[in-house]
Amino acid sequence: MNTERNKDEPMIEIRDVHKSFGDLEVLKGINLTVNRGKIVSIIGPSGSGKSTLLRSVNHLEVIDQGNILLDGVQVNRPDMKGLQFERHINHIRQNMGMVFQHFNLFPHLSTIDNITLAPRKLKKMPPKIARELGMELLNRVGLASKADVFPNWLSGGQKQRVAIARALAMEPKVMLFDEATSALDPELVEEVNQVMQSLAEEQMTMLIVTHEMGFARDVSDWAMFMDGGVVVEECAPQKLFSNPDQERTQNFLRKHLNS
Amino acid sequence: MEFDFTPVITYFPTLLKGVGVGSLVAVIVAFMSIVGGLLVAVISIYINKIVSWPLRFFIWLFMTTPLLLQLYFLYFGLGEWILIPAIFVGILGLGFHYMAYNADIFVATIKSVSNGQYEASRSLGFGHAATIFYIIVPQAFIRSIPQLGNNMILMVKDTSVLSAIGVAELVYASQYAISVSFRPFEFFIVIAAMYYLINIFMELGQVWLERETAYRR
Ligand SMILES: Nc1ncnc2c1ncn2[C@@H]1O[C@H](COP(=O)(O)OP(=O)(O)OP(=O)(O)O)[C@@H](O)[C@H]1O
Ligand SMILES: [Mg+2]
Repeated sequence: MNTERNKDEPMIEIRDVHKSFGDLEVLKGINLTVNRGKIVSIIGPSGSGKSTLLRSVNHLEVIDQGNILLDGVQVNRPDMKGLQFERHINHIRQNMGMVFQHFNLFPHLSTIDNITLAPRKLKKMPPKIARELGMELLNRVGLASKADVFPNWLSGGQKQRVAIARALAMEPKVMLFDEATSALDPELVEEVNQVMQSLAEEQMTMLIVTHEMGFARDVSDWAMFMDGGVVVEECAPQKLFSNPDQERTQNFLRKHLNS
Repeated sequence: MEFDFTPVITYFPTLLKGVGVGSLVAVIVAFMSIVGGLLVAVISIYINKIVSWPLRFFIWLFMTTPLLLQLYFLYFGLGEWILIPAIFVGILGLGFHYMAYNADIFVATIKSVSNGQYEASRSLGFGHAATIFYIIVPQAFIRSIPQLGNNMILMVKDTSVLSAIGVAELVYASQYAISVSFRPFEFFIVIAAMYYLINIFMELGQVWLERETAYRR
């Protein structure tokens, strides 16, 4: 693949996005572009709107104002109604893998069925080919031996790796991670980070919300600090984490690195 | 008082026939009340108010009135207009009665499936209806098994009420035998033992099903 040529193609565009819950304005005009093959990390204090922003990209939250584009296609379409919009958003979401803090694996399905359900039902992939794909993905996250095990029998780290494999099964153009390791015991964080790292090496476009400053710094191409629903500062991670311009960023990092 | 079980032995084939009729009714009612209950629950939770309101009324109606009365209403009420065999009335009455109770269970278990499950499915690209079908309902069903089992055990005992409208299940089958042999106690003891046995088998089945699905919860 010619990555040089693709370098500046925007995959996710967030333009002046506003979102309120009742009287509480959680996003106050956010702008952000994630280019093809790039990894952008979002950090910020609790309640700053990081999850809301990520969920808005997947349309799990409906934004009040602004635009979100995935590979040039508008995600939010207030002009579309009912089933027409559902078809549109289902199609968009198939190109977007989402990984949740609490995994949200389907407990009634085995590991492999968790992964293959979407390709089988949505892409009409034959069961045999779907299983091959599932095994390949399980291999990638180091869990080939757990194919026929149910989620309840997996550790948190294993669950999250399966959840990542499940999201990858639809061959998404981008991956969204909302604090993928926050619910894990410290000793299980690394195995999930490794999987994310390997995705980074494969040039997957990723938007990552995280509390892990070290990981964000190592893996991302761009970092953004949010507070109170606005982007306080964004720049290369080397700069953001060691030499940020804004005082709010400095204070946040000081607190976070000391704790 | 002396017991004499010889009439029971004489009429045992009749009693077995009654068990057969009762079992047939129970199997059909179980199927109807579980499938119907699930449909009622899904519609009343997910479809708009106009459809769900009459369904809630239906649930309320069947849960607040006695089964026997419902059977009389159906049997003598419908009997005014059309001639239908008692066994159909019995299946309908018992079916609707337990459909209401099962719907009540499904409403609770469907609501107990976390929103995270819904969102995970939608984020993969499944639509609203597909998510309900592939993700929500199967999980709710697994969670419903203990209570469904209890309901079905009650339902089997309630098949005896159908004797009141002349369905030839176990209790009804014994009535003629009792009337000619004058040995009610002997028959009642044996019938009770038969219900007890059926009950034990159902409870074993329930335990087995719960164990088989526990790891999927
Ligand atoms: N569905 C909702 N209804 C009402 N308020 C909400 C809802 N979701 C989020 N909020 C509020 O919006 C604000 C931003 O929440 P959000 O989850 O985006 O923060 P966050 O940056 O992800 O925080 P954390 O680091 O704790 O995950 C918070 O004040 C939160 O209470
Ligand atoms: Mg959050």
